[in-house]
Amino acid sequence: MSRADAGNQSAQGGRFDMRTLVGWILLAGLLSSLALLIAGTIWQYLSAGKLEAEFKLEGSDLYHYAVSIARSALAGHWRPQTLIALGICVLLLTPYVRVLVSMLSFLFAERNLKYTLFTLFVLCVLTYTLFLR
Amino acid sequence: MPELSFGWLLLISVVAGFVGAMSGMGGGVVLIPALTLFHMHIKDAIALSIVSVIATSSGSAAAYVREHLTNLKIGMFLEMFTIIGALVGAAISLTAGQAMLFILFGVVLLASAATLFFQRNREWKQPEHVDAGSRWLELNGSYHDQASGEDVQYQATRAYLGGPLMFGAGLIAGLLGIGAGALKVLIHDLVMGLPPKVSTTTSNLIIGVTALAGTSVFLAAGRIDPGKAVPIILGVSAGAFLGTRVLVRLRNRTVRRFFLIVLLVLGVEMIVRGIRGEL
Repeated sequence: MSRADAGNQSAQGGRFDMRTLVGWILLAGLLSSLALLIAGTIWQYLSAGKLEAEFKLEGSDLYHYAVSIARSALAGHWRPQTLIALGICVLLLTPYVRVLVSMLSFLFAERNLKYTLFTLFVLCVLTYTLFLR
Repeated sequence: MPELSFGWLLLISVVAGFVGAMSGMGGGVVLIPALTLFHMHIKDAIALSIVSVIATSSGSAAAYVREHLTNLKIGMFLEMFTIIGALVGAAISLTAGQAMLFILFGVVLLASAATLFFQRNREWKQPEHVDAGSRWLELNGSYHDQASGEDVQYQATRAYLGGPLMFGAGLIAGLLGIGAGALKVLIHDLVMGLPPKVSTTTSNLIIGVTALAGTSVFLAAGRIDPGKAVPIILGVSAGAFLGTRVLVRLRNRTVRRFFLIVLLVLGVEMIVRGIRGEL
């Protein structure tokens, strides 16, 4: 098998398979995000008597948004909004983590420099956009 | 009309996700016109829709990737173009006039109707000529076809054209808050010569990353209200899940005709509203 085919045929022979890994990342990310959103909504309903949570996050980028949630959560200020915000962050970070893991797989498992660089480019652009404000 | 409540947003999103999955058009194409009918600002509808696109893409891509139909290299290569397109598209969307967005959305709906109408099961054949660039990019692979029981080998071609065109697909995705999956599949099929199964599944993967790039722009602009995003993400996901289950059983002409009429009516309605300025 040539190196060029390795990425698409690595399922055979019980070797490392990037596609199985990517599939599980996407599924786990989506399900945990939905679980957090449902839990946050139920909590919101039980505590405030209405389903929709109120948020204020104008002009914030994802990074600062995530940091402020993490900070209040660490300080023990858990509110329904904490779970909902976490759920949205997990949803947004799922494709990001998928690209990150793909890059590491191209680099270490397949030793394909060309695709490592392509994936790095996508990762850099996504990282930049997550810091947009 | 009162402001859209959690319950209404959830209901609209379930229907949009369901219809989107059944027609293969994605949730946004139905969700955005529906939300604007309830007097939501079109830019808010676009921003909320593109968040939900990440969810539906993750869900469907997860299933297909594990079935080994998706081509990760072709996906990564094309994502370089779609994410830049999505960033540009979302930035234009933020500054564009509402009427322009209505008209563009209507045109996309009519184009979607046209692709649905002309959709046939074409026989796939490996393109005879493959340019050196596409070979260098390793845009090849194989999958096991369950219908014929054979392993199908393929090699994509014309990457020099497919890449820039995917920038355009990403631009439309970011501009209008949709996955633009139908357009991506067209480029994969007609320009790059990919087998239909590979092109649809790879498009699903690309949509997620593209939608994330677009989402970041709308998020930074403060256009995404998490309180409203929750019912939409949950509703579209639930609807899409149900839609893919039903899809296996209901695939006949009547259903397709119904979608065709829905798309035509929504498309004309949006164009008329855009031209008349009844936003």
